[in-house]
Amino acid sequence: MLQDITLGQYYPGNSILHRLDPRTKFLGTLIFIVGLFLVQGVIGYTFVTVVLLALIFLSQVPWKIVLKGLRAVLFILILTMLFNIFLIPGKVIAQWWIFRITEEGLYTAIRMGIRLVYLVTGSTLLTLTTIPTAMTDAMESLFRPLKVFHVPVHEIAMMMSIALRFIPILMEETEKIKKAQMARGADFESGSFFRRIKSLVPLLVPLFVSAFQRANDLALAMEARCYHGGEGRTRMKPLRYAKRDVIAYILLAVFIGVCILCLIFGL
Amino acid sequence: MGIIRALKLGYDYKRYTDDEQELKVRAVDGVDLDVEAGEFIAILGHNGSGKSTFAKHINALLLPSEGAMFIDGVDTSKEPELWRIRQKAGMVFQNPDNQIISTVVEDDVAFGPENLGVPQDQIWARMEESLKKVGMYAYREKSPNRLSGGQKQRVAIAGIVAMRPKIIIFDEPTAMLDPNGRKDVLAVAHELCRTEKVTIILITHYMEEVIGADRVFVMDGGRVALSGTPREVFSRVEELKRLRLDVPDVTDLAYALKKKGLPFPDGILTREEFRTAVRENRILPARAETESPAAVRRTFAERTTQRSAKPEFAEASEPGTLDKSHEHTAEPVFACDISKNPSNVRQEGETLLELENVTFAYSLGTAYETKALDDISLKIPKGQFIGVIGHTGSGKSTLIQHFNGLMRPTAGRVLFEGKDIWEKGYDLRKLRTRVGMVFQFPESQLFETDVLTDCAFGPKNQGFSVEEAKEKAKAALHIVGIGEELYAASPFELSGGQKRRVAIAGILAMEPDILILDEPTAGLDPKGRDEILGRVRDFHNDHGITIVLVSHSMEDVAAYADRLVVVHEGKIAFDDTPANVFSRYRELESMGLAAPQITYLMNELAEDGFAVDTSADTVEKAEADILKRWHR
Repeated sequence: MLQDITLGQYYPGNSILHRLDPRTKFLGTLIFIVGLFLVQGVIGYTFVTVVLLALIFLSQVPWKIVLKGLRAVLFILILTMLFNIFLIPGKVIAQWWIFRITEEGLYTAIRMGIRLVYLVTGSTLLTLTTIPTAMTDAMESLFRPLKVFHVPVHEIAMMMSIALRFIPILMEETEKIKKAQMARGADFESGSFFRRIKSLVPLLVPLFVSAFQRANDLALAMEARCYHGGEGRTRMKPLRYAKRDVIAYILLAVFIGVCILCLIFGL
Repeated sequence: MGIIRALKLGYDYKRYTDDEQELKVRAVDGVDLDVEAGEFIAILGHNGSGKSTFAKHINALLLPSEGAMFIDGVDTSKEPELWRIRQKAGMVFQNPDNQIISTVVEDDVAFGPENLGVPQDQIWARMEESLKKVGMYAYREKSPNRLSGGQKQRVAIAGIVAMRPKIIIFDEPTAMLDPNGRKDVLAVAHELCRTEKVTIILITHYMEEVIGADRVFVMDGGRVALSGTPREVFSRVEELKRLRLDVPDVTDLAYALKKKGLPFPDGILTREEFRTAVRENRILPARAETESPAAVRRTFAERTTQRSAKPEFAEASEPGTLDKSHEHTAEPVFACDISKNPSNVRQEGETLLELENVTFAYSLGTAYETKALDDISLKIPKGQFIGVIGHTGSGKSTLIQHFNGLMRPTAGRVLFEGKDIWEKGYDLRKLRTRVGMVFQFPESQLFETDVLTDCAFGPKNQGFSVEEAKEKAKAALHIVGIGEELYAASPFELSGGQKRRVAIAGILAMEPDILILDEPTAGLDPKGRDEILGRVRDFHNDHGITIVLVSHSMEDVAAYADRLVVVHEGKIAFDDTPANVFSRYRELESMGLAAPQITYLMNELAEDGFAVDTSADTVEKAEADILKRWHR
């Protein structure tokens, strides 16, 4: 149902991965992705695979749900692999009509495929184990140094968390307005492309009007609750690193070290 | 000096005309007010009376153009840090969704204290304490999207309570809630006033909510028109009606009877007071010996037989429903048990719409399968005015969306004029123009640049030319009472009540055979409510259009509908005349519903040993009945 969208892909649980500080997980994912692009050969890839499998195991999220994340990129995955297989020049190992498969192409395709799958799986794991609001908190905290360059980090994070709250509400509203216009004989399904675009006007205008109304109301409500920017604010749930985060960072350092060694020795 | 003190407060809205001229519109005009700490104050007024604008001065969301506002001794226009005032005077708004900012209940409650810079451990304590006070502690880890309107509103209140304000302003907090949510929110407001000594300012146009207040201010045209205790204010029924307001039904009844010469004191507010007055002034005759007090709880069958035996009751009802009442009383069918034999209302005329064993289930075939509708059969003949009631989540919205094919039954058939609407090749778009559906808050469907064009959208979709469509739109706008001067206005500039009427006209312009109205009066002031329902009834009487009115207001369905369908847990619990349904008010209560106030009053009078017609469910019927017996 629509209401579930708030939680995004979050899979409720209490595993060690769920309990890690969102900043650790956020940086950890970035480090994992970097490592993924450093390793070169079979040994390196085996190492990364073992690490990823261990993480999925630790998260206690069912395999099926983790792999679901891949469905969205399946098309891109196949396309990139095909392009690599057929278009990279090199030693020909098979040929049919204008298509030719080269050894280099095959290797690159496999490498790209693995990288893409691991990249998506790794970030899926992040969103599966982290509540969206915790994610915005992590970003606010991690990007705080950008304030020096006058980037409104707090405001951006606040906007992101408000968006998370209102996206499902607006989706529900869209559904409601759509039904109301259908009750007035509106047709959203048939007609030419141009007609279909035009038929969206009765849907989009009320939606924008409502969104602005809500924004207005929300701004008043926030002011009434003494919101006056990020200055002088305290947090009920401030982000605080625990011992497990320290251990996680040590392991991440080891991980990236191994990956660098793989790069140096071409493994 | 009181905690809130307004001195000759005036406020001008700035508006710009088309040629960029600055126009000042006076919203609040010379208001003087002095409120002591711990008082419960109600501010009444119709939409646009200036009551919300005034309230926004209390927490410095607006600053006076003239005069001054002192909160806890501080002049709001002289305080550089406005949030200090807002911490003292918190505000709960009308729409619960638009004031909750977080996706987790407890995080949202913490938002205020976080803004105030309260230390972390104290925020936790405040969050827990405030959620407990509003009875929402068990939901602290839930997403607000999963809560009901009343629950969300209580979370919003907790968010204000957590800032430890001295004053809480409730700006029409119940306008968008169902009766149960309304009750809960009101109870919380009174509880905070009593136990925490918080000063409460309640802005509302529900008269029943005002009764418990210490003082009432009635605003009109930006000024305080009336003020005093609820009793003092409600004794001035005529003035209130002139101010587009209403009085509670019991007050209205006592006032009407007093005007006819019955010895009622001024300003009766509650049923208890009414009963006392009847007892002390011997207004009603005692019941005859044969009608022993035990007979008060007589069964439904006995009651209706007795009712049919006394045809004069029908004459006592208002003229408009006279004919129909006669037909009903002549029905022998009344004696059987309605819950087993649903439709007792006489089926006159041909059946327009029929539901045959309709079931609607979510997540069909999984462990989560839930039936929103469970084997419902229902016939809607031409020309009836049907009320549909049921508490939130009973399935009534799902039910009406089956009427025009917006939802498809998972089992069973929907027939319009005998044809299955889900058969292949059936023109659903055409069906929807014949079964007109006005959704809740229909003004949210307005989108055109002017009223007339918006109204013509439906007929244009039916295939009429622009000219024809406009003619139909004009006719529809006439029905709802929107004059020519507004044809060219933008729908977004109209008042709430006008917008609502334009939206209804947008459906009427398609000239449907059935008009379905889902809570058409939600959020409107009493006058706006009466205007819309009155217009609908006139149209129904003049043109014989079939009306389906979904409502939370038992008073409304009692006054307008001639058949009442009660939906409970996806089934039809009752399907009968309103009087017969309301006679089973104890069962209605077990379904989270209630009967009209007048039904309760009449039944209580019967229990007190007086002879009254317990089937009277409107002020008019009760007035006629009591008057008749008084003269006797």
